[in-house]
Amino acid sequence: MEPVHFQKLYDDFRLGRIDRRTFLKASGLGLAAAVIAACTPGSSAKPTEAAGGGEPTAADWSPPSGVDLGKTLYITTWPNYHNPRTIEIFTELTGVAVELNPLGSNEEMLAKLLIGGTGWDVLVPTNYTFETYGSKGLLEPLNMSMLPHLDTSRYDQKLLANAEYPAGSKTLFGFNKDWGTTGFTYNKKHVTKPMATWKDFFDLAQTDYSGKVVIHDYQLTSIGNALVYHGYSFNSVDEAELAKAEELLLAVKPHLFAITSDYQPPMRAEDAWVAMTWTNDGAQLHADIPDIEYVIGSDGGEIWSDFYAVVAGTAHREAAYAFLDFMAVPKVQAFDATFHKAPLVDSAGIALQSEEVRSNKITYPDASSLTKLEFGTAELLTNQARADLWARFKSA
Amino acid sequence: MVRSGARRWRSRIATALLLLPAATWYALLLLVPLVILVVFSFGGRAPEGGYLPDFTFANYLELPTRATAFVNALWMALGGTVLCLLVGFPLAYYLATRAGSQRTLLLVLVVVPFWTSFLIRTYAWLTILGNNGIPSLLEDLGFGHIVLLNTPFAVLLGIVYNYLPLMVFPLYVSLERLDKRLLEASKDLGAGRWATFRQVTLPLSSAGVLSGVILVFIPIMGEYIIPALLGGGKVFFIGNALVDLFLQSRNWPFGSAAAIVLILVILTAVTIYLRVGSRGSGSREVSLL
Amino acid sequence: MPSPPDSTSRDVSADVELIDVTKRFGSVTAVDHVALQIERGSFYSLLGPSGCGKTTTLRMIAGFEQPTSGEILIAGVPVAGVPPYRRNVNTVFQHYALFPHMDVARNVGYGLRQVGVTRDEEQRRVGEALDLVRLSGYDRRRTWELSGGQQQRVALARALVNRPTVLLLDEPLGALDLKLRKEMQLELKGLQQELGITFVYVTHDQDEALTMSDVIVVMRDGRVQQQGSPEALYERPVNRFVAGFIGQSNTIAGRLSGLDLDGGMASVETPTGLVLNGRITDHGARPSIGDEAIVAIRPERLEIAPGTPSPTAGWTSVAGRIHQETYLGDQTEYRLATDLGQLVARRAHHGHAETTTVRSGESISVRWPDDANLVLVA
Ligand SMILES: Nc1ncnc2c1ncn2[C@@H]1O[C@H](COP(=O)(O)OP(=O)(O)OP(=O)(O)O)[C@@H](O)[C@H]1O
Ligand SMILES: [Mg+2]
Repeated sequence: MEPVHFQKLYDDFRLGRIDRRTFLKASGLGLAAAVIAACTPGSSAKPTEAAGGGEPTAADWSPPSGVDLGKTLYITTWPNYHNPRTIEIFTELTGVAVELNPLGSNEEMLAKLLIGGTGWDVLVPTNYTFETYGSKGLLEPLNMSMLPHLDTSRYDQKLLANAEYPAGSKTLFGFNKDWGTTGFTYNKKHVTKPMATWKDFFDLAQTDYSGKVVIHDYQLTSIGNALVYHGYSFNSVDEAELAKAEELLLAVKPHLFAITSDYQPPMRAEDAWVAMTWTNDGAQLHADIPDIEYVIGSDGGEIWSDFYAVVAGTAHREAAYAFLDFMAVPKVQAFDATFHKAPLVDSAGIALQSEEVRSNKITYPDASSLTKLEFGTAELLTNQARADLWARFKSA
Repeated sequence: MVRSGARRWRSRIATALLLLPAATWYALLLLVPLVILVVFSFGGRAPEGGYLPDFTFANYLELPTRATAFVNALWMALGGTVLCLLVGFPLAYYLATRAGSQRTLLLVLVVVPFWTSFLIRTYAWLTILGNNGIPSLLEDLGFGHIVLLNTPFAVLLGIVYNYLPLMVFPLYVSLERLDKRLLEASKDLGAGRWATFRQVTLPLSSAGVLSGVILVFIPIMGEYIIPALLGGGKVFFIGNALVDLFLQSRNWPFGSAAAIVLILVILTAVTIYLRVGSRGSGSREVSLL
Repeated sequence: MPSPPDSTSRDVSADVELIDVTKRFGSVTAVDHVALQIERGSFYSLLGPSGCGKTTTLRMIAGFEQPTSGEILIAGVPVAGVPPYRRNVNTVFQHYALFPHMDVARNVGYGLRQVGVTRDEEQRRVGEALDLVRLSGYDRRRTWELSGGQQQRVALARALVNRPTVLLLDEPLGALDLKLRKEMQLELKGLQQELGITFVYVTHDQDEALTMSDVIVVMRDGRVQQQGSPEALYERPVNRFVAGFIGQSNTIAGRLSGLDLDGGMASVETPTGLVLNGRITDHGARPSIGDEAIVAIRPERLEIAPGTPSPTAGWTSVAGRIHQETYLGDQTEYRLATDLGQLVARRAHHGHAETTTVRSGESISVRWPDDANLVLVA
């Protein structure tokens, strides 16, 4: 997707949308992250404002009558991405117990879906996965008649279109949960040099802030931003350009504090001063530690959106649709966002957010800062050159 | 003759039936995956990831790109095992020589931390080794700025911390079973404390050392969570490479080749170790008593 | 090292000396004011029932336990605080305690290696020691392949090879069957005489102690009851416990009715009015008329004859019946119901020539000479 499209959409809606994972890596570490987050003083991840009149109730949504929803629902998502209270309310209203299974990356999600037998019902995939998921038949097209509360007319159509398969067919395989950008955070207490671009980021990582910088353990963003450093597209799969990116990454590697997508703890402990960061984490960190600033690289980078989708062949279809329908309610979205702090897509949801949230420049940045950002392309999910590059880099 | 023949057959059938669950278990959980690994390791990667039938040695030829990860794991496994042994032996000895009730209490104390989740325990080290933990203490004491987290040291520490019980328990069992009268006999015959330890205690606890070392070494070779958490992705084991290959880049054939080589490396190391370990003093027969 | 001023002037022919030694384990007093003088080159036995403190005494000599009070001297030198590996004393343990990870030769050579003798000398002396216990050729055998008796001999060789001044043996034959035990008893005794080493030998088997020892120390509840030669203990047990523990005795209770302390003689009157004359076994005792006393008579001293008793001077005779008769191979034991209660008599068989024939139920007379009466005043 071209930046121009988004610029237009963004102007239309005044404020944003899109989002994705907080991440952690390797092993299902999301659980531990959640526990530590809960135990660490000053951790965000708690609803602070009573948005749009507070908690949703039965008056806002009730399950379809005369339908057996079953007892359980398995949702595969990203860590720290759902207000635990939202999930509780869903269970109170439906009697369906929800099990959240946080993963490390879209690539891990795909890997497990390809292996099969996951038992998953609902996914929260990112924009660039739908082509692969659609063509592989891993998701099922949304049955709109089971989603009475979803009004896609309130959604930005270009953002929503990411979930179409085949592209332009109007067959939706998901609807937007939220959106966001991939920038970086830095701690003003220690970082005095100006940092505005990915060039600054990778240069200072090797000099002034050596040993204090974190990059994602994620091929999409870490390779993408190294490409942006050289002035190439975030989405490049050009052999020569990738070689330059690899060269940069290998040069930076010995200077890094860590290669991890779980960068909130080291940023909070000041083990790290600079970290590649997603909007929602940036907003959470800044809310707790005002010295931590979030920056969108002025030389480029990623813009993204995450979706709710139903896994093909789900064993709990009724419950899965009930959950999606529940999450389509604007009041539910606004309430959930008090926790994850990513910008929403549904204009009715945004309208219910407090003025404080809507004027937060990390959650809803100025449109001008987004002009150079790119959406990840479908090709990147399965591109072997990038996958191999990343695996090589890490084991180097 | 006829009767005893029939009886022998019946006992054979009974034995076969009794072994059937275990045999099935091993076949399903060990042999089948192993065969799949071997087959995959000669295959190719499907476009979206996974396995594509093929016959190529390309995956094996690409293994040198993972040499660092292999070497890292091997050194850390050796270092971690030796450290576990050095820390674990005195602890096991202390436990084995306590009186009954005190010993039970101490054993429970050794085990209790391991009732909490492995991840949470390891996560705690992030705080202890992080900027606000030991390094700030050392800085206050005038040692300058020291980085501990995300270093090989941190990974080694996490390994020793997590694998220590696996070392202590076999050592404890062999020391506890050791006939204390033999130690008195040794002293009676003129051997001092150290001479007794060297000539009696150590050889007679070699069964525990042998199993402790194997129990610790093998899983460290395949370890990936500790390096991921305490090494910050910078201390990279072959286990991490395997996780990436299977769960990120979905290069199953290459991952299979790496896994097979890992199994071979472990088997070789363990075989050499058992040869060398059982050569001295014929203590192995004792261990089986 | 504190030592009593007169310790150097003591008789150095005593290899091991215990001076008023007490050992307590918490509230248990395992050894209670024990004094022993173990002569160089003697075969010394500690005899007593289970738990009487024999092992504890031995362990204090070996150095595994320290006395709570009192003093131990080895070759005239106090050894308080000297660890076991610095005492020229070796032990043959109750269950042998052979090192399972060493073959026979390495087991035997263990003590030699600790003092750094040359390989050749070790080999030579191990060979000698194995010869001594008749195990030549067993050098390379694993200890668990040996029979109990062979293991016992390895343990013996392992202790002897160090040429200790004192060898401590804690029920070394306890695990062997009767026949082997008898054989080994003779072997051990022979060895001890041949080598001239002091043996301190713990046993709870009175036969064993009687067969082998020069001196027997009878212990009970941590205290020494009596020490002396086997004959002395058998013939002059000082109290009822020793009399019962060493050999068998008939005991008759009564009160002292006559005393000749200078002659060591006494008369005891039973409740039925019978008066028994005999020797007071405990020379140190100072009893008085009217005190309770026990008369002990060894079963082999009783003579049985058919018919009714005829009083004879210097003899005691009572009437009775044979209650039970037990054939014991070389002798026969009779249980007799008499006016004095139940008595046990024993008669050795001399060939086939049975002189008297008495049968169960038959009326008989039992008699014994006055010198068979042992008067026990404690
Ligand atoms: N280490 C110890 N702690 C506490 N009590 C002990 C200890 N060793 C011995 N005792 C006690 O001291 C007493 C004497 O024990 P000892 O072993 O000397 O007896 P023993 O004569 O050798 O008996 P046995 O013939 O059964 O071997 C016993 O009551 C025993 O329970
Ligand atoms: Mg004993």
